Amino acid sequence: MKYDALVVGSGIGGMESALKLGDMGYRVLVVEKEPSVGGKMILLSKVFPTLDCASCISTPKMAATIHHPNVTVLTYAEVHGIRGDGNGGYHASIRQKPKYVDEAACTGCRQCEMACTVAVPDEFNADLVSRRAAFIAFPQAVPKKAVIERAGVSPCTGACPAGIKAHGYVARVRAGQYEEAFDLVLETTPLVGSLGRACYAPCEEQCTRGQLEGPLPIRRLKRFIADRHYGRAGRTAIPRPQPNGKRVAVVGSGPAGLTAAWLLARQGYGVKIFEAAAQPGGMLRLGIPAYRLPNEVVDDDIATVTAIGVEIAVNTRVQDVARLKAEGFDAVLLATGTHRAVRLRVPGEDLDGVRSALAFLADVKLGHAVNLAGKRVLVIGGGNVAMDAARTARRLGAGSVELASLETREQMPAHDWEVEEALAEGITLRNGWGVHRLGGDGRVRSAELKACTAVFDAAGRFAPRYDEGKRTTLACDAVIVAAGMSADTEAFGLPTNGNRTLKADAGTLQTAAPYVFAAGDVVTGPTMITTAVGQGRRAAFMIDRFLQGLALDPSLLEAPLPVVDQAAVLRRQRVYDRRVPLAPGHAMSAPPTGFAETETTMTEEEAHLASARCLDCGVCSECHACVDACPAGAIHLDMRGRDVEVDVNAVVLATGFTLFPADAKPEYGYGRFRNVITGMQMDRLLAPTRPFNAVVRPGDGKVPDRIAYVMCTGSRDAQVGNPLCSRICCMYSIKHNQLIMGALPLADVTVHYMDIRAVGKGYDEFYQQAKDMGARFIKGRVAGITEKKDGNLVLRYEDIEGDGGIVEAEYDLVVLAVGVQPNPGVARLFADGSLALDDYAWVGEADEDLDPGRTNLPGVFVAGTASGAKDIPDSILHAGAAVAQAAAHIERSRAAAAPARAAAEPRVQVTA
Amino acid sequence: MSPAIRDTREIIRDEQVMRAPILEALAAGPRTIPEIAQALGKPTHEVVFWVMGLRKYGWVSEIKEVGDDGYFRYQAVPRQS
Ligand SMILES: Cc1cc2nc3c(=O)[nH]c(=O)nc-3n(C[C@H](O)[C@H](O)[C@H](O)COP(=O)(O)OP(=O)(O)OC[C@H]3O[C@@H](n4cnc5c(N)ncnc54)[C@H](O)[C@@H]3O)c2cc1C
Ligand code: SF4
Ligand code: SF4
Repeated sequence: MKYDALVVGSGIGGMESALKLGDMGYRVLVVEKEPSVGGKMILLSKVFPTLDCASCISTPKMAATIHHPNVTVLTYAEVHGIRGDGNGGYHASIRQKPKYVDEAACTGCRQCEMACTVAVPDEFNADLVSRRAAFIAFPQAVPKKAVIERAGVSPCTGACPAGIKAHGYVARVRAGQYEEAFDLVLETTPLVGSLGRACYAPCEEQCTRGQLEGPLPIRRLKRFIADRHYGRAGRTAIPRPQPNGKRVAVVGSGPAGLTAAWLLARQGYGVKIFEAAAQPGGMLRLGIPAYRLPNEVVDDDIATVTAIGVEIAVNTRVQDVARLKAEGFDAVLLATGTHRAVRLRVPGEDLDGVRSALAFLADVKLGHAVNLAGKRVLVIGGGNVAMDAARTARRLGAGSVELASLETREQMPAHDWEVEEALAEGITLRNGWGVHRLGGDGRVRSAELKACTAVFDAAGRFAPRYDEGKRTTLACDAVIVAAGMSADTEAFGLPTNGNRTLKADAGTLQTAAPYVFAAGDVVTGPTMITTAVGQGRRAAFMIDRFLQGLALDPSLLEAPLPVVDQAAVLRRQRVYDRRVPLAPGHAMSAPPTGFAETETTMTEEEAHLASARCLDCGVCSECHACVDACPAGAIHLDMRGRDVEVDVNAVVLATGFTLFPADAKPEYGYGRFRNVITGMQMDRLLAPTRPFNAVVRPGDGKVPDRIAYVMCTGSRDAQVGNPLCSRICCMYSIKHNQLIMGALPLADVTVHYMDIRAVGKGYDEFYQQAKDMGARFIKGRVAGITEKKDGNLVLRYEDIEGDGGIVEAEYDLVVLAVGVQPNPGVARLFADGSLALDDYAWVGEADEDLDPGRTNLPGVFVAGTASGAKDIPDSILHAGAAVAQAAAHIERSRAAAAPARAAAEPRVQVTA
Repeated sequence: MSPAIRDTREIIRDEQVMRAPILEALAAGPRTIPEIAQALGKPTHEVVFWVMGLRKYGWVSEIKEVGDDGYFRYQAVPRQS
């Protein structure tokens, strides 16, 4: 794209430049990094010395800029590389940040903002109050459209293989919206209760808070919302979707199958699940012991699925996929898991009393009689299934439970906490032993073990090696083998992998037969519930597209933003409150006596305390509250940014200034003493769109009686590296004095100054007027401020004009008249570092006296405070100078490029 | 008055959890910031952030006249839900 001029920044300097160039007929592109044009001026209360309302005089200019026929404005966009094009012009790369809101649809109603669950400091109110992750910058924003601040995907959400918005439901719980939290999980899976109990919670491993005092109990928060939901009387019925006439058969009712069935049924598909076992739920029902996941919870989750019309046929083993097709199913999903136990292949494995952990756990969970009372039980295996089997045996009254694993304690694949809990329940570990043979006379009586010297080969493959000479024999009455699981897929007649898992495309999950898809452990081999849920979700998405005749493109399922950088998240705060993490809700006893749950549900208070620890890593939590609230359907969290490349003849830099960080003068206590504020904060307090209801102290909400100003904070101060006068602080402080005396007639205002710089038409009169109204001016630099117990502040200064000496004065609010600083980002706009700055890091002007606005680069100009401190009238004048120079440059380059055309073609003239 | 000031970002984040207790504290009638702070057992400057945030988003409003003690009183805004 080609423009005559690029204006970077849309404060008064930038707007003025763009409007003037546009009026001259040039095509102008304005790029502003904030969501609204207007810069700092729109945030001010009134302007000196006329006391005109800043927003009343800014808003017409803002609207004119946006609507000017020759001006194009990109808000929420950043210029990140300007390079000369070799012909006297420039090429600029611009990043349009995603707003996640369709601007054409957004009506500016703020419903999203009202609903949003994430509160962050409002930079447009100088951090005096909160705003939301979904926000409209300020009431007079132009364009008045919402944007959503997203730093990326939160690490917890990013870690969830199922794609559950973990941060989202944490934020919903924090806001007290438990049903909405439950519904958010339902968007991904119906297994809210099961995951809340039995998920291995990879989210918690990635939680940024883990780098402070410990991760959030994210899984237990999910359990909390599930328990609330299921425990509630009169649950709201989930509406049944309109049938779309197509039918899908799902084979297997584990997490993958249930998730796919739920998601497909919600889209109107007629779904029937075929389950080989006597009860639905897959490993949730058959594998995971009741002390971790009670059957009632599985029942509750499954009831959600059947409530929208999904049928489940149990005791039905599908052997012939083609028959399902013949029966009228348009697509089939195979989600049969891994239910075949891997054998040890050692002598004695077929003796009575030896059985697989899978069969054992299923029998117990289905309520079949299993008698281990008083018996010596040996469990073989070091994974989570072995732990489940051992702990289940313990609960059945086994006399002793020993667990032999090839791995050392550290190498054991079982989760650490699970091993800890097993130990706490009195289970004995025998690490580093493999089974040589099992002995007995029809019934198992002993196990001969041999020492394992290595479990994996150099390439990391499972290839145990033994010290055959080192043996030990254990006496036992029962052996439970948890040596692994494999898929049972021969009957389907579809291509398989070496380990019998089904061959399916990793992205689409389609098998060799196009109408047959496969998901879950039957594809991946044994994993965990949440991975299988993710597979079920992917399968549902792909089956839907397949049945609609659409392309199966994996990138369409979800192209999440990158996960936020945790170090960057932690840098957002200077200090962190250490909050005691919730103690694990486990009631461990050795030996446990029954199958009661070991973990308790959280209380509401615990859930609040836990969710309040969340750092809102991605800023937006993806809780979807805004999506639900927006009446225009304008919110699209899948929106992505775009790069814009432009060629221009001239560049006008109007990037403005930054404010001196008041805490860089620690002797004034800003950031430590709550009633010490900055000049910008006072301007906000005095503005019609102020953050508080009146001018009150941020420390306790009290209306102040005695207010002090400390002038030259961060200006004319070699200690902070800024010898320059900021030119505006004297005048804005005097403006405040007048406004305060109007708003709080009883308040005393005192200004501690070095000297007052009131240079400009009517400025000195304005100063005199403030004095006449009663403002006191005391000459002398303030040396330090201390805080009293009641929040009042004591200023120490040398009284150089009165009686002399060091004087202390008490105030209840102190305003630091902070000065201005160069915007550090401006030099980086030029990738090659060619833009020259002046000695104080403002944009350098080649000749400040004779040629204002011209930088060292031909065709690059500077307007407003980007080149040094200026007030509004001077910024406007300076922009005029820069524009005149830019116009001359554009004309010269046009003439050079096409002398004949430039002379012949009149320019479009727009009159205001 | 300001022992170990917490980071502004952290205080503001807490607005979501503090909404219910603050509205509860206002159930019996309007209160000043120090009164709310006392009811919650929280520092007054933190309560200012929360009450002003809740005010901005329509949960509480101020009684127009300031009290003799120099404090405004804030009340819960009735909402349909
Ligand atoms: C507390 C206070 C009170 C004041 N009161 C008055 C007053 O009463 N009267 C008066 O005359 N003056 C007052 N001033 C001064 C006045 O604010 C400035 O003169 C004026 O804002 C300067 O305008 P500007 O366009 O140069 O810069 P800014 O207003 O700073 O605007 C610059 C814009 O550029 C954007 N930007 C920066 N970098 C980039 C980038 N790389 N890409 C895209 N966009 C970028 C910024 O987001 C911003 O919107 C006051 C200042 C302060 C701090
Ligand atoms: S998804 Fe939730 S957190 Fe994100 S902007 Fe919307 S309401 Fe706020
Ligand atoms: S701090 Fe919150 S958002 Fe960040 S990873 Fe933890 S739970 Fe997720």
